Amino acid sequence: MNKPARTFKLFPVWIAVSAVILLAGIVLFALLGFNTSAERPESKTVDVSYNVSVALAPDGEETLEEICETAFEQNGLRYDDKTLLDEQSAPVSSTQTGFTPTGAGWLLRYTFAADTDDADLAAAVTAIRTEVEAALGAQTFPAAAEVNVSSHTLVNQSMNEAIWRGAVGLAVGVVVALVYVGLRFGAGAAVTGLTMCVHDALLTLAFFAITRIPVYSFAPLLFAAIAAVVSVALWLVRCAKLRDIAKEPATASLPAGDAVGEACAATDKTVLAISGVLAAVFAVCAACIPVGGALIAAPAIACFALTAYSSMLFAPALHVPVKAAFDRLKAKRRRYAGKTKSEKSRSDKDASAEKISG
Amino acid sequence: MGKIKSAVCLVLYTLLIAVLCFLCTVSFSYGPDGMYEFTSIIRMTAKDADLGNVYGANDTPIGGGYSVVYYPEGVISAEEYETDLDGFADEADREEYEARYMRYPDEDGALYLEIGEACNDDGAVIESFRTEFSSAVQTLCERVERLQVDGARVEVRDEFTVQVFLPEMMDGEYTAINHFAYTGELSIRYAAGTDEAAAEDIFSMRTNETVADYIQSVSSRAVGESAYVMVRLTDKGRAALAEATAGAAEESGTVYFYVGDTRLVAMSVSETFDQNEIYITSANYTPGIAKATAILFDTAIRGTQNDLSFTVGSAYMHPAQYGGNALTLMYVAFGVCFVGMMVFFFVRYKRLAFAHLYTYLLFLFGMVLCVWAIPFLYLSVETFLAFMLASVLLSFSNAMTFEAARKEYALGKTIVSSVKTGYKKSFWKLFDLHIVVAAIAFLTYAVALTGVQAFAFVLGLAAVFSGLGSLLVNRFTWAIMMAFTKRPGAFCNFKREEYEDE
Repeated sequence: MNKPARTFKLFPVWIAVSAVILLAGIVLFALLGFNTSAERPESKTVDVSYNVSVALAPDGEETLEEICETAFEQNGLRYDDKTLLDEQSAPVSSTQTGFTPTGAGWLLRYTFAADTDDADLAAAVTAIRTEVEAALGAQTFPAAAEVNVSSHTLVNQSMNEAIWRGAVGLAVGVVVALVYVGLRFGAGAAVTGLTMCVHDALLTLAFFAITRIPVYSFAPLLFAAIAAVVSVALWLVRCAKLRDIAKEPATASLPAGDAVGEACAATDKTVLAISGVLAAVFAVCAACIPVGGALIAAPAIACFALTAYSSMLFAPALHVPVKAAFDRLKAKRRRYAGKTKSEKSRSDKDASAEKISG
Repeated sequence: MGKIKSAVCLVLYTLLIAVLCFLCTVSFSYGPDGMYEFTSIIRMTAKDADLGNVYGANDTPIGGGYSVVYYPEGVISAEEYETDLDGFADEADREEYEARYMRYPDEDGALYLEIGEACNDDGAVIESFRTEFSSAVQTLCERVERLQVDGARVEVRDEFTVQVFLPEMMDGEYTAINHFAYTGELSIRYAAGTDEAAAEDIFSMRTNETVADYIQSVSSRAVGESAYVMVRLTDKGRAALAEATAGAAEESGTVYFYVGDTRLVAMSVSETFDQNEIYITSANYTPGIAKATAILFDTAIRGTQNDLSFTVGSAYMHPAQYGGNALTLMYVAFGVCFVGMMVFFFVRYKRLAFAHLYTYLLFLFGMVLCVWAIPFLYLSVETFLAFMLASVLLSFSNAMTFEAARKEYALGKTIVSSVKTGYKKSFWKLFDLHIVVAAIAFLTYAVALTGVQAFAFVLGLAAVFSGLGSLLVNRFTWAIMMAFTKRPGAFCNFKREEYEDE
């Protein structure tokens, strides 16, 4: 038994694997949703605003940073992010059209996880205030400098329109693309393609629901879109080979299992190579771009692994019964029971060869 | 193609790529003391809130975004409280001010709530205030969401203030931040002449009526760089406006658009206005400003006089959320992938890899120009990943045609025949692949919003470019490069199949 035929026989196993992943994903999504902690749904911040109408002390920023970070360290606090924000003209004019920097102030913002202890944060803020007072007294900052320290809690408000519209757009795109596949490669190819697309998109979503990898709220949909596109592309590689096999007189009349097996044997390397290259490209992006790469490019590698699994194992095994059913339907509906185009060309060739030899 | 024609084409092609490369990637200072700066297209391309850099001689920021905190009436920051308190010279005034506010949520809290307005004497938050605030936050979220801009955020800060972040790349972010603070009901007032104080509401509403009975909707339309706001009136609204402006032919008047107590638009009228649609335009209306104004008016149709009003706090410019080096690191990631791709092509196809290189560079600079020139496109990690997906598609397509030609050449055909047959065999496969990817991408783009929309459009556009590149440009480049070699097999690293004599 050749390798593709063995994988076809394991179709119930692939169905079971996918079903388990999908069910687990649905349950976990219903209970917990995706882990959108990358979006910081809740966080705490310590803001240190610095305002001075005269020239900024050259080391004002560094001094404040040092004061803050010492206070955090003393209180056992670790911040997730540090940003320096430039103060802009207050947006109070209804006729002005753009922000302009005031040049006199800035804000040093430290962001902490939502579960950071309030008492520790309050102690750190008090320590910073004391140190700032001392620094102002020692004229480390200009006399006119105003430094304010405050801590805040932030709760992000979710906006879901982009997510559901993205899902609808993707569904419309996939259906239309597979109508095209149906026209070019036959209804059987479109049915398998559509099933694979939905399977891969859902499997990707289930994967992120199960693994709880931190992602942005829009990211699961983006990954589902990537999985759907790659799934269709890989399926097209198989379809093109299947069409070649159907056109070839020697293989045109092969039963569905053998035809799919032959197409798989010829395209397995291509499918693996495409998945591998895509995974490698995204791995490079993930390695090079620390924050964005880790949050977008690295999780996307899972999409390629999942589409490779379904393209190598699930799709061919699924297509065997689908192709067999459509082939039977085609044979039943065929009104003219004469020779097929490929059979005809083969018999014409044989006849002309006989003539020549005769 | 003859050698001379090929040489001319190759020189022109090389020059085109060199010019595009220069325009897209090179920035430098010139003039006395480097006063002027030539800025590359990639540097000028809009960046989302996650990425950012500066460009031009004045280091104009591009990317990142702006944030502001909205304080509802009855809530002030601890900073403002301290400043106000320091301003009182009279001790009695100071004590009166102190008695008006309670620190929230505790003695270290960042807010002060006004007693009677937001909290009771014992510091407990008034339930009606909590409900009104919650409703105001919902309205703000709806306004920001309707901007349909990638990276926009609304956060509730310290329970009773709202922090809004809008990306720098959007058009009209200042107007949106300013306008979205206005709450209350939309009203249209009319006054003869320009005496705003004498202006009266044109809708004489009965107790069971709302503004929605007079104004159907407000939307915006963009015409190139300019834009207008379109107010659609109901028949009742049209009749009311016609009645109010009946005397405008004799004495011109002014129509004022208010949200709550704030006048936002004044429009002169010199004849009776008897139409269902009012078109508002202004010299400073860009599509973004018109959109923000329309969103404000449209959401204010459902507004009420009891809506909580907001005061805008200080605004801050945020640098790239992924850090200052994210953009550079993204270019590094591209460089690593590019080198990897070219190493593969040079090892496998020797000098034929130059054909792929030229095609890829044209594809790359074409994409850079499109992302820069198409107003709604911008550089982000998502659009970069879409571009990288399409790069893999182009590389795969070119490798597929090269392999098809290699197989034909191995059978003993001439190189011209091998290329022709190779392309013939792979044309429809590649055509289908590109059409399907582009169709999914463009249809997703048509329905989706923000990040996924940008990703989908870039993928669709890059799939089209990749299709044209692999099926047309690459074949042309191959033809002109092959004209100079006497050993085409060695040029392409193609080998004939060897048969042993029996």
